[in-house]
Amino acid sequence: MSASIIKTETLTKIFSGNIKAVDNVSFEVEEEEIYGFLGPNGSGKTTTILMLITLLKPTSGRATVCGFDITKEQAKVRSCIGYVSQDTAVDENLTGRENLLLQGRFYHLPKEVLEKRIDEVLEMVDLTDRANSLVSTYSGGMRKRLDIAEGLIHRPRVLFVDEPTLGLDIQTRLKIWEYIQRLREEAHMTIFLTTHYMDEADKLCDRIGIIDYGQIKVVGEPNELKSQIGGDIITLRFTNETNSYANQALAEIKKLAAIENIVPTKESFSVVAKDGETTVPKIFEVAGKVGATIESISLKRPTLDDVFMAHTGRELREETGSKEDLMRERIRMRRVRM
Amino acid sequence: MSVLGDIWNVCWRELKRFRRQPARIFMSIAQPIIWLALLGNMMQAITPMLGSGIKSYLDYMAPGVVVMTTLFGGVFGGLSIVWDRRLGFLNKMLAAPISRSAIPIGKMIASSLISSLQATLILCAAIVMGVNVATGPLGIVAVILIAMILCLMLSGISLALGAVIKTHETLMVVMNFLTMPLMFTSNALFPKELMPSWLQTIADWNPITHTITPIRTITITGWEWASILPDVAKIAALTLVIMGIATMLFRRSIS
Repeated sequence: MSASIIKTETLTKIFSGNIKAVDNVSFEVEEEEIYGFLGPNGSGKTTTILMLITLLKPTSGRATVCGFDITKEQAKVRSCIGYVSQDTAVDENLTGRENLLLQGRFYHLPKEVLEKRIDEVLEMVDLTDRANSLVSTYSGGMRKRLDIAEGLIHRPRVLFVDEPTLGLDIQTRLKIWEYIQRLREEAHMTIFLTTHYMDEADKLCDRIGIIDYGQIKVVGEPNELKSQIGGDIITLRFTNETNSYANQALAEIKKLAAIENIVPTKESFSVVAKDGETTVPKIFEVAGKVGATIESISLKRPTLDDVFMAHTGRELREETGSKEDLMRERIRMRRVRM
Repeated sequence: MSVLGDIWNVCWRELKRFRRQPARIFMSIAQPIIWLALLGNMMQAITPMLGSGIKSYLDYMAPGVVVMTTLFGGVFGGLSIVWDRRLGFLNKMLAAPISRSAIPIGKMIASSLISSLQATLILCAAIVMGVNVATGPLGIVAVILIAMILCLMLSGISLALGAVIKTHETLMVVMNFLTMPLMFTSNALFPKELMPSWLQTIADWNPITHTITPIRTITITGWEWASILPDVAKIAALTLVIMGIATMLFRRSIS
């Protein structure tokens, strides 16, 4: 048995129509780690999870979970994992307790153990007082908490959580993050999650893999990834009248000691600088000397958004539109759900 | 053993859900009772044409309506799989270490148990309206059991279609398209002997006919085993085959 609790080697899934949903993905997750896949919708996150939990067959490559092969030892893999899907699949016509009872029976827990476990997980997600109400009376956040509780009922060694806070409000998201962190601390569980929220990946994960078009672009700790950007990010814009001096000004700015890199974006420039606070006044100074007037300037610490941008060349958030993405997503959903 | 446990768990969920929807219970029996009350009286005039030993058209029709109820009840087996798939509940079950076959089999058994309740209620209503069951309480039990076999068959068909069709709207339409003709090409409401010969041939091949005939023997004539057993054996065999096909198609749809 290997030291890593999840290990994939060149895992690939190609759907009919030659759609590469997951493309040669190799990564390892250590025991008791919270590992996250960060990527836009349709990037292959859910497909990867479905392969790891044995619901989809990989086209090629291999993977082990808890040391068991996901294609040859499916029953053993299923017994050691828990799965919380992005659909929040709880049965509305049952009570919270009945949902948990059913889930526990699906995992063949003996009756006495199950009764105790149900009380335990209800306590953990603060649903004890609503346990006997029908789920149809629950709020979205309560449903998600019940869903997570269901994933825990058999004390899996690895919990797979697909988009844990999709569609939830801020307070509920914070709560869910808290529960997930508590799980790792109290139950010593390994957690593999996917998200397209960079703040979620940042707050929650020990390590993240950035995934785009089915490929892992980079893996690392959030802080480490952000520091690889090389400094703070200064975004500046010149007034229209002095735009002609811009190139000259940029050349001067580039000479400043703290400047690492300058990238033009739409209508503005993104400057990476080691020490943002002291660099901003210097930028004004050199720009003024060549006659360029700065219209606006902003300074921020790098976020995972910037990391995503640096590794994929596009913003994490701007992905609402491309037709190809939509097609991929639609085909994936059809394959997976229908 | 664990397979049986899994089947029971899937089934338990369906029964719990059903109990929580009183409107569904009510609606599912209201329609057949209206049929009995309206059609049963409307068609009284053809009683003499039904053959000797039949005192009223209502007696003749009641078995047909019981079977019709289970026929329509069977549609839900496939629908519930389609819903589970859409809501993500199916994936949740599949991620657990449960037997794959337990899911369709559990659903088929659940819809058959539910329809046994409906059939009992319809039969009671028919008795209240004056229908006489020649074989008494034991006969009623036998009728319900035969109806349950038919419901297993129909939910098997709807599950098999649900494994292929995958949207509930389409499945609903296809099932309605199937159940109506099945009903009217059988001897549920009208004696086979009075049908045109081409329709008689269809009725001979229609499993509904082979379900209604033994039920009618039990309620009208009595324990005439020679006419009950062959038909029951035929539909039981066909049901097993269809359940097998449904389970196979389901397993294929998830791999």
